[in-house]
Amino acid sequence: MTKKRQIKFTLIRTLVAISIALLVAALLIFISSGGSTFAEKLNATKEALKQMLIGPLFRMSEKKGTSFEAKRFTEILAAMIPTTFTGLSVCIMFAANQFNMGAEGGIMLGAFVSAMAAIYLPLPAGLHPVVAVLLGGLAVGIVMLIPAVLKAKLNVSEMVCSLMLNYIIMYVIKFLMNTYLADKSKGQIMSFPFRETSVISPIVDNKIFSGSKLTWGFVIAMIAVVLCGLFMYRSRWGYAIRMIGINQDFSKYSGMNVAGTIILSQVVGGFLAGAGGGIEMLGRYNTFSWSALPGYGWTGITIAILAGNNPYMVPLAAFFMAYLSKGCDLMATYAKVPAQLISIVQGVIFLFFAAEQFLSGYKQKLVVQSAQEEIARQNAAKAQEG
Amino acid sequence: MPDGIPGTKDEFVVQMKKITKVYPNGVAANQGVDFNLRRGEIHALMGENGAGKSTLMKMLFGLEQPTSGEIIVNGETLNISSPSVAIAHGIGMVHQHFMLVPSLSVAENMVLGMVPTKSGTFIDKNKAIEITKEYAEKFNLHVEPEAKVMDIPVGMKQKVEILKALVRGAKILIMDEPTAVLTTQETSELFVELKNLKNQGYTIVFISHKLNEIMEITDRLTIMRNGRSMGVYYTKDVTKEEISRLMVGRDVVLTVQKDKAVPKQTILKVRDLEYVNEWGKKMLDKLSFDVRAGEILGIAGVEGNGQKELVDMLFNFNIPNSGTVTVNGTSILGMPQQQIRNLGVSLVPEDRMIYGIAASASIEENVISDRSNEKRFNNGPLFNMKAIHEEADRLIKEYAVLCKSRKQHVGMLSGGNIQKVVVAREFSNDPVLIIADQPTRGIDVGATEFIRKKLVELSRSGIAVLLVSADLNEVMELSDSLIVMHNGQIAAYFDDTANLTDEIMGEYMLGLKHQSKEEVRRVCHD
Repeated sequence: MTKKRQIKFTLIRTLVAISIALLVAALLIFISSGGSTFAEKLNATKEALKQMLIGPLFRMSEKKGTSFEAKRFTEILAAMIPTTFTGLSVCIMFAANQFNMGAEGGIMLGAFVSAMAAIYLPLPAGLHPVVAVLLGGLAVGIVMLIPAVLKAKLNVSEMVCSLMLNYIIMYVIKFLMNTYLADKSKGQIMSFPFRETSVISPIVDNKIFSGSKLTWGFVIAMIAVVLCGLFMYRSRWGYAIRMIGINQDFSKYSGMNVAGTIILSQVVGGFLAGAGGGIEMLGRYNTFSWSALPGYGWTGITIAILAGNNPYMVPLAAFFMAYLSKGCDLMATYAKVPAQLISIVQGVIFLFFAAEQFLSGYKQKLVVQSAQEEIARQNAAKAQEG
Repeated sequence: MPDGIPGTKDEFVVQMKKITKVYPNGVAANQGVDFNLRRGEIHALMGENGAGKSTLMKMLFGLEQPTSGEIIVNGETLNISSPSVAIAHGIGMVHQHFMLVPSLSVAENMVLGMVPTKSGTFIDKNKAIEITKEYAEKFNLHVEPEAKVMDIPVGMKQKVEILKALVRGAKILIMDEPTAVLTTQETSELFVELKNLKNQGYTIVFISHKLNEIMEITDRLTIMRNGRSMGVYYTKDVTKEEISRLMVGRDVVLTVQKDKAVPKQTILKVRDLEYVNEWGKKMLDKLSFDVRAGEILGIAGVEGNGQKELVDMLFNFNIPNSGTVTVNGTSILGMPQQQIRNLGVSLVPEDRMIYGIAASASIEENVISDRSNEKRFNNGPLFNMKAIHEEADRLIKEYAVLCKSRKQHVGMLSGGNIQKVVVAREFSNDPVLIIADQPTRGIDVGATEFIRKKLVELSRSGIAVLLVSADLNEVMELSDSLIVMHNGQIAAYFDDTANLTDEIMGEYMLGLKHQSKEEVRRVCHD
């Protein structure tokens, strides 16, 4: 298939998957919306969908009409920070065909380790957040050695192993918090406050944007995207990761270090998730009080699949997910629709992307078309020669 | 040609007329093949691997559809679109690799897809066991209905396969190399059972290339070569020598110009290599040979006589039970592929789609797979993209790979061009030894000629070449000296291929002749 057709197919598939997901969402909203008559319900659905689709960027009010809302936009960008990191993390692991689900526990452990560094390490401002985030990333990278080495050496399923690891991480952190690290003077389980030197500061801090939490973490996330892109497409390690993901037998025969690369992909993935957790923690909070898995890792899986394991596409996918999430929040607030709907919309989109056979008939048609053109071109060339 | 006589016991149960099969990749596996079966006969379908036997039988069993031609079963012209159609018309197939569920019992396997139930919901195990026992007794095929398939020996698994086909009402049994996995004792047991089935009016197609077995058990035989039928014969009317000549002949002789080889020092040294496979079959039996710089040593032989196992050992895809392999004096057994490659060993693998390429990666990414760590392609942590582009473009040009650009996915290329990509990589990394395993299988004439010329050119420049090929034409034309493998042993060694004929080769390949130990020993040049 030509490149143009490949892009055309991907684009159409994405659009169709999103349309179907939205259609399903509209149907559910219609059923769950208030109103007794059909017309009322229809109106409520329309209102809800409007909130979901354009609400994240525009404030709709009866008096002032529709106006651009900068704060909501920055909130979406801020929400992209942790999911960009988990998305990148999952991309690199999935590209090597390693279905490691550890980004979820990874982001929590990274946040925890960075938080501890922010509380207990006396370091100067500027250096402090860097060290804290790196420690968070390193901790998770090291923990990911468990599923990675077990997979590479003993062929233990990294999926099962990492999935279980998430809960081990969560409960170990909860145990440490409850027993040793909590600030006993507070009414709930939370750590002592972070040192002020450790704060990752907001990019802009004025009245309009106050509380949007769009920190320099966003810039770091975008730099991470570029670095991951370079790593995957311009370095020998990323190359080995991708080749192993495509054909492991081929990679082994070519003389690549298959076991080492499998381990590398998961350690790098773990580092990214951990660093993302640290950046999120130091940018958004001033004490550590997470008592459950935050969910960013699961979103990261959706993002990686949407991005086709391509790091450069991760920001787009992360933006899409953050936008959708914000839209659903608004819909829940203003249009009386349960916020849980986002899970359903996410689920439907996920389903259509994960199902590789989706629209495969159409793809086959494009392949055949390309093949026929190729044959025609060859015949024409032969005719010219003859 | 012996024909069927309508209305008698000699009438045809199956007639396949002018069958042609062209696969989507353009390979014509069958070309105008006629094949027929009489009721109650055991009919051998013979030919080398790639001759088109399996394709023909897959079409009869509905696993493939013919491009053109007609299939008539019991006088009725059929479109056998799937195995269920074939089964409905009484055709059953016993595959070489058993299609059984290992964790289920024999009885459960027997009734798969037609499970007897209690009140329509629950599996009636007793009924399944009863059915199994009934059929086992009727056909004198002894199996243990309650044993798990994974626990029973290979011979019994095969009986289960045969019974499975019979339970489904098969009157015509296609057996794909049934003795390949059996011990001698199991084989003679199987033959008694097959004769028994024949006497009860069943028709059996026996796919094989083992001459002794064919002579012992079959009534008629059809010989295939290169997708064509070479005729139908009564087994009693032909000799082993005639069969061998019909099976292993050359159709078109492509000649490659080459100067006389001037062999130098020994590069690859293989000594007393022994390997027993997971089913306890001895695949390599005290194999010893040398390959010297500047010569092409060919390995001929019918497939399945140890060639695949040998190549696996040479590239650490498997470990032998005993023996040594050295390249320039360094032992390579168990060495990681990276290190084997660093010693200058290249391999053109037999299965190019599995080992040779990453189909959904670009041509460029495929040609650098063995050298991506080299200094010239890296600038610090990043690739030197310019050097990589240049390398890819150079190889595409030098090896005349027909493609749009270096960015095109290898999987989109034709078979011949895919193989050129593999060869471009394997020939261009300064090898001292090239192992070429079926280097031109299934690819077009142009690419074939190109690759053969390259091989000769490289050997004349002082590289040692080990050529493993089931293509007699190839192995006889290209090799400077040649060994024939049979049953994991070297059946013959020829230090000069000029005076060899197809007949002589055929006799050694099919095990009718075997050189003395001293003659074979000459392949070790120490």
